[in-house]
Amino acid sequence: MSGVPLIWYLLLSFGLFGLGLLGVMRRRNPLLMLLAVELMLNSANIALVGFARHWDNTDGQIFALVVMAVAAAEVVIGLGLVVAVFRQRLALNVDEMSSLKG
Amino acid sequence: MAEQVVFVIAAAGALISGVLVVTLENAFRATVALIVTLVSVAVIFLLLAAPFVAVIQIIVYAGAIVVLFLFVIAYLGERSPPGMEDRLAPYQPFAWIVVIALVGQAGIMLANSDLPGLRDEPQATGDIGSPEAVGRAFIDDYIVPFEATSAILLVAAIAAVLLAKRAIKFEGGR
Repeated sequence: MSGVPLIWYLLLSFGLFGLGLLGVMRRRNPLLMLLAVELMLNSANIALVGFARHWDNTDGQIFALVVMAVAAAEVVIGLGLVVAVFRQRLALNVDEMSSLKG
Repeated sequence: MAEQVVFVIAAAGALISGVLVVTLENAFRATVALIVTLVSVAVIFLLLAAPFVAVIQIIVYAGAIVVLFLFVIAYLGERSPPGMEDRLAPYQPFAWIVVIALVGQAGIMLANSDLPGLRDEPQATGDIGSPEAVGRAFIDDYIVPFEATSAILLVAAIAAVLLAKRAIKFEGGR
């Protein structure tokens, strides 16, 4: 049985992280920015689970599961904010959301 | 060999659909592309001897989070802001420079790394990914992070309810 070396997983993780970072910096729609953030979180999870496999240890998978729970919480808050902004008839563009007064 | 073939297919799927997530203008299509990425990452987790994390990836990410995205997109409709000028457009090359520099640094770091076993065939592992192993690790060693995570989820649920309530009050109770 020939497995896959750890370095392949790390390269995939870097690639996905770069894509997510590019998405966050280029997009101006908060929904699409959240999607790109999900990409970055997933790339971090690949690295965590890959190192868990490398060291024959469950700890990295625990980190990955905690990251998933935090991602779920982040998406709930982020989408709640998006809906709240939309209900006030504001444009969904992060450059326009520069006022803190409600 | 079989593992490497599966890895290449899953990694190609993840990267191609990741590019689509970042480039597609339609939010609905970008979300569907994200589903492909998430399922590909779940396959990667299976290759990494983490079946429990793979199943949770499918249930929580591809199930709950993506459905939440799709609900919000359906609620907001296909209203893309027309004629909005992008004030940051002149600075987009800098985004590319930052990303290329970061990924390049990571690649150079990997190329020069002398971590033992980084480029070798992975060793056989014991039982590290079954629900039993993950559960034991949570209860034995990581009980405090576990409880902190549940507190975070509770706070997020309360915050979501508060955000929705305030929005209703602004609209006069609709």
